[in-house]
Amino acid sequence: MPELGSAALLVTFGLSLYALGAGWAAAAQGKRRLAQSAQNALVAAFGTTLVASVVLLVALLRNDFSFTYVAKTTSRALPTPYTISAFWGGQEGSLLLWLLVLTGFAAFAVATKRRWERELVAWVTPVLGAICAFFAFLLVAVASPFATQVAPADGAGMTPSLQNPYMLAHPPTLYLGYVGLAIPFAFALAALLSGRTDERWLVATRRWTLFAWAALGVGQLLGAHWAYVEVGWGGYYAWDPVENAALMPWLAATAFLHSVMIQEKRGMLRIWNVLLVILAFSLSLFGTFLTRSGVVNSIHSFTQGAIGPWFLGFIVLVVAVSLALVFWRLPLLRSPTKLESVVSREAAFLYNNLLLLALCLTILWGVVYPLVSEALRGEAVVLGREYYDFFLRVFGLPLLLLMGIGPLVAWRRASLRSLVTTFRWPTLVALASGVILLALGAGSSIPGLVAYTFSAFVATTIVLEFVRGTRARKALGATSWPGAFASLVARNRRRYGGYVVHAAIVLLAIGIAGSSAFDSVAEARLAPGESMTIGAYTLTYRSLEERQTQNATEQRAVLDVQRGGRELGTLEAGKNAYTVEAQVSNEVGIRSDPLTGEDLFVIAEQIDPDGSVQFRVFVKPLVNLIWIAGGVFVLGSVIALWPDAREQRRLAARAYEIGVPAAR
Amino acid sequence: MARKASPARLVIALSVAAVLAVFLLYTSIAGGGNPSISPSELGGRTEKVHLAGLVVGPVRGDAHAGGLRFALKDIDGPATARVPVSYTGSVPDLFKVGRHIVVQGRLVDGVFVAEPGSMITKCPSKYAPAESDVRS
Amino acid sequence: MTAVALAIAVFLAVAVVVYVALPFLREPEPESDALVELDERERRRLELLERRDRALAALKEVEFDHRTGALTDEDYRSLVGPLRRDVASALQALEEITTEDVPRPPEEEGQPVRARTST
Repeated sequence: MPELGSAALLVTFGLSLYALGAGWAAAAQGKRRLAQSAQNALVAAFGTTLVASVVLLVALLRNDFSFTYVAKTTSRALPTPYTISAFWGGQEGSLLLWLLVLTGFAAFAVATKRRWERELVAWVTPVLGAICAFFAFLLVAVASPFATQVAPADGAGMTPSLQNPYMLAHPPTLYLGYVGLAIPFAFALAALLSGRTDERWLVATRRWTLFAWAALGVGQLLGAHWAYVEVGWGGYYAWDPVENAALMPWLAATAFLHSVMIQEKRGMLRIWNVLLVILAFSLSLFGTFLTRSGVVNSIHSFTQGAIGPWFLGFIVLVVAVSLALVFWRLPLLRSPTKLESVVSREAAFLYNNLLLLALCLTILWGVVYPLVSEALRGEAVVLGREYYDFFLRVFGLPLLLLMGIGPLVAWRRASLRSLVTTFRWPTLVALASGVILLALGAGSSIPGLVAYTFSAFVATTIVLEFVRGTRARKALGATSWPGAFASLVARNRRRYGGYVVHAAIVLLAIGIAGSSAFDSVAEARLAPGESMTIGAYTLTYRSLEERQTQNATEQRAVLDVQRGGRELGTLEAGKNAYTVEAQVSNEVGIRSDPLTGEDLFVIAEQIDPDGSVQFRVFVKPLVNLIWIAGGVFVLGSVIALWPDAREQRRLAARAYEIGVPAAR
Repeated sequence: MARKASPARLVIALSVAAVLAVFLLYTSIAGGGNPSISPSELGGRTEKVHLAGLVVGPVRGDAHAGGLRFALKDIDGPATARVPVSYTGSVPDLFKVGRHIVVQGRLVDGVFVAEPGSMITKCPSKYAPAESDVRS
Repeated sequence: MTAVALAIAVFLAVAVVVYVALPFLREPEPESDALVELDERERRRLELLERRDRALAALKEVEFDHRTGALTDEDYRSLVGPLRRDVASALQALEEITTEDVPRPPEEEGQPVRARTST
């Protein structure tokens, strides 16, 4: 039924245009019914996009190769879960997913916010309508997932590295993040259009931003873990443009989450916040563009893809329109308050913002540098790992330190004495752990040592905050210590959820520093029976095994692992040869130590006909902290995201006081 | 934002901007980056470059003993220049004749000697899946 | 197959049009078709209310930070003064606006304000 899919997309396009046009007219002229009708159009657009998505999903599951998209991305032998993941495995399908998530979010945001923020939502509708219209247009006219052909006997199959459970979760999670940023962006533009540039749009979209940001973070960690266990080159992040594409909006959103607090508390940084959210959304569009257009390889490949020019045009349009609106509303965006002291929480958050932005823009520069140099010098110059690593240290380490300082400095201005009392213990702990680590030989990497010292500092401040807060709650009448702790967190979820997220970042920093600054590697070609050593480990190559699965032939080298004379069991590393796709993939063997978080990572680089194998082995200390950090990150985000009834009551009370009736 | 703001903010913004500008200039001029060129553009150049091209057979030798030998030609366009390449180290899964790869190295006596482990393959599909860059 | 698909598509299109037209179908002749726009005075009041709530929330946080020991007495005093003044000035401005051009009885308006500040 490709016709139904195409028709549904066409209707979606029409609905989006209606939401844009009617929504605009309604907001500009203050017409209530027309505004509601435009909002209904957004909700209906979600319904029609859902119909189109179901059509594609059914076609995928039925192996209907008369759909060009299905034939291009799947094969009969492909296991069902990967047939589902083929939905976002190709360009057209992933654009459809974008639109599905976008219309879903738009419908949800409009439906939940129109009660208290009617004036704002009236303007949000046309903005979201415009974004939906662009994606619907792409799907209808440029890259339709419902193109048909004479069905071939079998499809082309899927790239083996995508045949992986992570591909079920990683791309959709990232998309939730990319698309989620559209909501705060739409509210920001609505604030500008309506002239309501106070804190309303921030409060209304606070959770959306947090959600999108958390989804981007989790999506990236999933991607990193995928790269680590499946791509099998011994690392988890390679500063690849496709990876950077997700990191940049995440950094911008992180800056936004922090600067929002300054505006809420002190009314400062209004222009800055609007600019940040525009940047975050533009970067999320740019990220989608990067991963979908192939522009990163070269300017030349960019013109081959059909959607590239459209996408670039849309990004330029979004940036131009947003900046024009900001310029138009400059008089309204002047802050009523000013920075009073350079030693205050506002100032610390500002430094944090500047560093995050600097890091973000540096990465952006690195991503576009090949294109810039190709345009200017006629020769693409690629900035390598060193470039990114250098700036990650230069901007990332101060950021890490600020994470400990910022939340503990008083608003407005902090006295020297309070700084001393607040930071006495964290500083002592940090220095002590620095000295101990130096004695243990961590001096081999100075950035690693600095990262650990700073991490100790931040961790101490976080623990202290929880201890002090719980003690104060207990003194205020909580019956038990756990009760005091729970009430502490419940009363200020954002603050304590934020601390938990900070703890996750500390774990992440320790894991990254440990696995990149203090890792070791060894290589050897072994015949069956021979052994090699790395660090305290001894690996003995036992045998080569071969087995046949549904869509691949698997070869595995079996190794016995010993450490300090103690048997640790066996490890398997090898290769899969995929039949339909005629490709080979590395399958690495990993042994994680549950006590130290250390990984032994074995790659079978080359398997020779005589049964000897070229092994490449890494020992990566503390790398598992990165994945644990992911769990802590989710926990902190959920704490901060949890609905707060008091906040709703305050909003309602204010509306009541000025006599705005509860909307119908 | 800086127009009517307090001097502190202006100073911070300016200093960060200045630092950033210096760093960017420093790294983009002083190194970190290597030109990425196609086989036909290599000519007799002997500085360190990224060479991007299409693998041409026959592929001989052993990447872990003595070096893998093959040739690279332009991915598209009429140029027929072929550059012989010698490579050691990890070979990505996707490497084979007809694939688009990038190696880093320099020309030595008419043979492009790639740095160990520098090979990256690019997915040949125009509609590259989200994570198409497979490294090793 | 194609006929079925087209039939579903037509049904979809009709359903969508009806849904979008629903606000007009449900209320063919409403009393008011205005999105509630605030006039200048109400807008000013809202801003003041927000200022008041913001100051109150900040005050609460400062109190708690002082109690936990994160803020020294000296810092606490320097922070609390301006915040209290902020709350007071917002309340006073609200009072003035309310008495300026009295469209509603004052007790109905003043009640929630006082109720909230006492907490």
